[in-house]
Amino acid sequence: MERMQIKTHFDRCTGCGLCQLACSERLLGGYNPHRALLQIAHQCENLYHFPTVCNQCENAYCAKVCPVQAIARDAATGAMVVDPDKCIACNLCHRYCPLHIVGVDPELKKSVKCDLCGGAPACVAACPTGALEIVHRTVPGPVKEES
Amino acid sequence: MARSDMQKLLWVDLTARRSQAIATPDWLQEAFVGGKGLGAKLMNDLTSAGVDPLAPECPLMFLTGPLTATAAPSMRACVVTKSPLTGTFLDSYFGGRFGPEIKYAGYDGIIITGRADAPVYLWIKDDAVELCPADAIWGQDALAANAAIKRDLAAPEATVVTIGQAGENRVPFALVSCEYNRQAGRGGAGAVMGAKNLKGVALQGSRVVGVHDLPAFRAACREAHAAIAANEECRTLTYGGTSTSVAWASEAGVLPVRNHADQVDPKADRLGDEAQYKHLFLGKAACFGCPIRCSQMGAIRTGKYAHQITDIVEFESAALLGSNLGIHDVRAVAHLTKLCDRCGIDSMSAGGIIGFAFEAARNGVLQAPDGVTLDFGSVAGAEYLLRAMALQENELGRLLSQGVKRAAEILDGGTRHYAMHVKGLEMPAWGPRGTPGMGLAYMTADRGGCHQRGFMIAYEVGGREYKGRPVPAHTIEGKAEILKGEQDYLAGTDTLVKCDFGAFAVPPEVYARLLQAATGRPVSATFFNELGERIWNQTRLFNLREGIKPEDDRLPRRIAEEPLPDGPHKGQRISAEDMNRMRADYYRVRGWDAQGRPTPQTLARLGLNEPPRFTLPNRDKE
Repeated sequence: MERMQIKTHFDRCTGCGLCQLACSERLLGGYNPHRALLQIAHQCENLYHFPTVCNQCENAYCAKVCPVQAIARDAATGAMVVDPDKCIACNLCHRYCPLHIVGVDPELKKSVKCDLCGGAPACVAACPTGALEIVHRTVPGPVKEES
Repeated sequence: MARSDMQKLLWVDLTARRSQAIATPDWLQEAFVGGKGLGAKLMNDLTSAGVDPLAPECPLMFLTGPLTATAAPSMRACVVTKSPLTGTFLDSYFGGRFGPEIKYAGYDGIIITGRADAPVYLWIKDDAVELCPADAIWGQDALAANAAIKRDLAAPEATVVTIGQAGENRVPFALVSCEYNRQAGRGGAGAVMGAKNLKGVALQGSRVVGVHDLPAFRAACREAHAAIAANEECRTLTYGGTSTSVAWASEAGVLPVRNHADQVDPKADRLGDEAQYKHLFLGKAACFGCPIRCSQMGAIRTGKYAHQITDIVEFESAALLGSNLGIHDVRAVAHLTKLCDRCGIDSMSAGGIIGFAFEAARNGVLQAPDGVTLDFGSVAGAEYLLRAMALQENELGRLLSQGVKRAAEILDGGTRHYAMHVKGLEMPAWGPRGTPGMGLAYMTADRGGCHQRGFMIAYEVGGREYKGRPVPAHTIEGKAEILKGEQDYLAGTDTLVKCDFGAFAVPPEVYARLLQAATGRPVSATFFNELGERIWNQTRLFNLREGIKPEDDRLPRRIAEEPLPDGPHKGQRISAEDMNRMRADYYRVRGWDAQGRPTPQTLARLGLNEPPRFTLPNRDKE
């Protein structure tokens, strides 16, 4: 089966942060790029900009380490999604996420992560250069069995 | 209900080593909105006449606007203080990421007064404000200091402003280098910062910037983005930043050449977009929240000055450190520009001063030191002078680092004729002979010789129409009226704080809808002109208080006396009589008297006659 995810293209990223503005607007109803669910590293005197988004991992450490099983795959979108009612804000997901792209928001006091906006990611729509792209990757056998 | 301003200003008193959050008064926001407006009012209220810009009591302010840090595209912030170069009001704008971070930390602006007893940098993380020792960072260049502060704080995510050695040395055209390598360049705010013993300010903020009406705000943002995407000037900026203007300016006959002796340069294309694509550009970088991405990042890959990472050589630098100095190797100009960025000096003033020095040396008024060539075309000579000024290395450097106005007063020997400045601010790279409206814009700009307070060249040779009619280039009639409208509108939108490039595309009514949705205040499309006129008169009042006279509203003698030798405007100059007529016309349309003072009626109309005064609590204890 195919599963949706966001692919980043650092060679197109200008570091403008419009993706983060769109993301924080959806998450928080206002703006702050540091609290968006994707990050941009500006490197080498601003010569490179590396966006990082959630990989929606097949083998999702965030879900595996969660002591209360608050993170699970959404059947419709395939995104790994946090259930805020279950989340106890222990931040273990952040600790074991290889990208440190999931974690507890300082005000919401709940773990927050990219849920692909339910299938129409605001960040991808906001990116003026095509540095974020919706792709569908083929997932191997065992997952097929689950579905 | 949410609104997009933070309703707080942070006051840091470096002398007392204390900080305090102050509620932004409603009346202040209502009358002056943000950015330039706030700065104009605060400078007037927080200083007394004749304040020394380098004295502890002179405030240095980093100010945002109600659209900074929101999803409204292409917004910036500004530094406001009194210029040590001109003695006038100074507002200097910067893109990048520092401006929004002020609001994410919870503030509409940061007001810095006093002087630390030893070098420090400020570390602001939301409510926590800390003064950190900067002895180990003092002496480093602006970009090295940025990295050093992040290392010192173990905060790679922090956004930082710094000064280079020139700011430390109080060079009056020292800049503030803003995350990342965006310059609050003109007028010497870096020297004010250096005089406060303040090497840098680091910020990290976790606050959310809200808006009053999110659906309406999103709709207005979509309109603004669509306008930018459809705009040809913005597309040109996306393609090649301001570098495309070099060849155009030469063709239009407005490019400064050899200290403004001429305004056409047959070799201009060697400094423009094609040359920069070939020798420098690799990719694009954008300021925060900007789809235009005018900044072209790259590296000098070949030749004597390889290998350095460079930003685009902006039009102003390409012209003033290039054609104006007779230098046409864009790699060399990139090298000189980077040196300005690192040492922390304004590349525009630097180019003006070096051009002046080359001409003075040619005329035998300045003696070149042994082994140094001070003449047009000499990259080594330009680099020598840059270092000498920024690092205060020798007598010549100390002399020239006072700017062309003071250097010409000291040197005498006919040098005033070609000291290219207005009110002490070295002229931008848009020669005004042939475009007298542009000349009037320089004469009357509140911070001195500045092209960004009313870009009349767009009308005079750029084809922009006024009230549905083309504007003839060489005439002086009617220019004052057009200019007043430009100045007012730009000052009004400099409260948001808009970027000039976004403003090519985003129309007034869309800015109005953005502001209304963001703040909840009713805003009409004419709001910005009315607001801008209030601000323009407020800065005029400040400048009059600081001793500006009608005779300071004038152009350099070369522009008045030397007809252009070449190009489409051959034979053109802006004579003393032309200046007198335009000045009188301008004062009249502004509602100013013959001495350039706003009349009581004008002040009353703009609500400037008896305004409330902004004060800092218990400042007398400073």
